[in-house]
This record gives sequence, C-alpha cells and structure tokens, in this order.
Amino acid sequence: MHEVSIALGMIEELMRIGRENNAKKITHVKLRIGRMSGIVTDSLIFAFDAVKLEHPLLSSAVISIEEVPLVYECNKCNKKFEIENFTFPSCPFCGSFGLKIISGEEQHIEKVEVEV
Amino acid sequence: MCDTCGCSHEHNHKETKTIDLNQSLLKSNEEAAASNRKHFDEEGIFAINLISSPGSGKTTLLEKTIDALKEKINIGVLEGDIETELDAERIRKKGVPAVQITTGGACHLDSLLVHKAFHSLEHQLNGRKLDILFIENVGNLVCPSFFDLGEHLRVVLISVPEGHDKPVKYPKAIRTSQVLVISKTDLLPHFDFDMEKIKKDALSLNPSLTIFEVSAKTGDGMQEWIEFFKKHLLSHE
Ligand SMILES: Nc1nc2c(ncn2[C@@H]2O[C@H](COP(=O)(O)OP(=O)(O)O)[C@@H](O)[C@H]2O)c(=O)[nH]1
Ligand SMILES: [Mg+2]
Ligand SMILES: [Zn+2]
Repeated sequence: MHEVSIALGMIEELMRIGRENNAKKITHVKLRIGRMSGIVTDSLIFAFDAVKLEHPLLSSAVISIEEVPLVYECNKCNKKFEIENFTFPSCPFCGSFGLKIISGEEQHIEKVEVEV
Repeated sequence: MCDTCGCSHEHNHKETKTIDLNQSLLKSNEEAAASNRKHFDEEGIFAINLISSPGSGKTTLLEKTIDALKEKINIGVLEGDIETELDAERIRKKGVPAVQITTGGACHLDSLLVHKAFHSLEHQLNGRKLDILFIENVGNLVCPSFFDLGEHLRVVLISVPEGHDKPVKYPKAIRTSQVLVISKTDLLPHFDFDMEKIKKDALSLNPSLTIFEVSAKTGDGMQEWIEFFKKHLLSHE
C-alpha cells in the first residue's frame, strides 16, 4: 500500500504550498497518473480523503486525476503509438521490438487551486 | 458575517488562484534521496538497494557477497524489515556492521528512514570509511520500487520458485532497477521455469537491464556477480 505513503507525502507538500501562497483553502488538486505508474488511483484518493480531514486547509480539497495512456516510440521508424498491453509490444508500423516508453509512467501533481 | 468586507450577510468575495506545479507526487522523498546520494558520493560510498518479494534470497545473497568481498572491501548494511532484528544479526555474524530498520508496518523503506539509519551505522564505524553500503529493502515487489533511497544501483531479485512471469506482473520493479538477479537457480530442476522467457520479458521492459543467474547455495553464478561489483567499485572511485 504505497498509496498511503504517497498520499501522506502529497498532503505535507500541499500544506507547504498552501502556506507559501497564503491560501485560506486548497479547493482542487489535479494529478497526472500514468497507466503504468503502478499507482492505484482509487486507493490514493481513499487515503487522501481519510487524512485531509485533519487539516482545515485541505479538508474540502477535491482530487481530479488525468490518466495518461501508455505511449511507446519505435526506435527504428520513430513512430509513436498508444498501447493497452505492455507485454511483448511490437511496433504496429514496422514490427520492430526495439521500443521505448515515452509516457504512461507519470506520477505528478499538475496544479492546485486555492482560495486566497 | 462576511469576513472580507465586514458586511452582515454571506456573499462571495472568494478569490481563487491556480498554482502550476508539475512536480512529482513523491517530491519530498526524492529530495531526501538526492541528499542521501550526495552524502554517499562525498564519502565515496557505492550504495545498493536490494528489492524482492519476501524470501527471494536477499539476505543469503548478501551473506555470500560479504564472504567474497569483505577482505578487500569495507561493507556496511542497512536491513529493512517490518519487524525483528534477525537479518541485521545474520549480517553482524559475518563481522560486518549492520543497522536494522524496522518500519513497524510500512511495506517499503524511504529516504528519511535510510538517512537516520545511516547515521547510526556511522556511529558503529568509529571513523572507518565504507566502500559499499547495501540496503536490503522490506520484502515486497511493489511498493519499494516507488521510493528512491539515494542508491546508485537498484538490484531486483526474482527466485526460481516464484516463477518466470514475475517481470510482466511487476513491471515497475523491473523498470526502475538496473540489475536483475534470478536467484536459487539450483532449484531449476524442480520447477517449470522458463529462463529464456523471463530474460526476454525483463529486457523488453528494460533493455539496459543487466541480468545474473545465481545460486547462493551452490555458488553457481556468484563469480560473475562478484566481478560485476569489483568493476563497479573501480569505476565509482
Ligand atoms: N535452494 C536455495 N535456497 C536459497 C537460496 N538462497 C536463499 N535460499 C533460502 O531461501 C530462504 C529465504 O532466504 P533469505 O535470504 O532469508 O530471503 P530474503 O527474505 O529475501 O532475505 C531461506 O530459507 C534460504 O536458505 C539459494 O540460492 N538456493
Ligand atoms: Mg532478508
Ligand atoms: Zn516501427
């Protein structure tokens, strides 16, 4: 359950950001989570919602999550493509197995909205 | 009453602001990891984070690695477990300083825990310098892969009895490691373990992965593993 630790770290960071910006309240937190990040978004939100109540600055904050698809780039023909199943991917354009992941592993806080 | 203008009715003076961050969700751990790494670099220490499921053979591999290296190289160990001092005691029996980190439930180490434990390890050293620091993570193939500890090298173990399908089931552990050790190879005759498949899957997830096949029990493959460390230490100096 790394989501609990991640939520706790995120809350600490949000409190710091809130104070730095003299926020009265943090109302909205927008995350970008890749399909292959390994973060279970429901667990993350569950942990966040449980702990946020202890902090007035955060108690009404709502999380929204943009899920980022898994995108590969072919090392041979340089084309990019989205893929659902990461086991044995090959390039749909040229068949090559030499691929690299260019997105889908994100674990980011993109922005927060605050009341000042 | 409205706080902002002092008038007697409730109305909207709310001013909102959007703050663009675009930062890692694990920023605080990553910052502490960077400071650990800087400290290790200043001390000339090569730090290795060992991750695997419980029982894949991390402590046993460490014991054998210590036997092979301790004459020439100063080794220190941090042992992560949820409970007990058992693994640190196993390492101390080898004559190597070890500090046990008990997380009391957490399924992974983080860089603050490592920072604190490293300072208590330094107390045991009485000024002696380390060449290598091994950090054995809590047995778990999922959570530790999220937490940079400030290591220079992440090694993931998968033992033969666990099965060859583990890389595709635990892609993050493979993606974030530089070395895969396939352990307990002495057990291959007893399992339907497809060595070619596990290597192919692991390399398809992480093309720059270095793979070792090791039996800590028979010593098979230990030579290559040890040589790899000697080479890394030389290039790290
Ligand atoms: N057959 C065999 N057993 C091993 C080998 N390495 C470790 N073991 C056994 O696997 C069990 C777990 O090992 P341990 O090193 O404590 O695993 P850890 O939980 O990853 O630290 C112990 O009973 C070891 O004796 C090996 O190379 N071959
Ligand atoms: Mg152990
Ligand atoms: Zn292609």
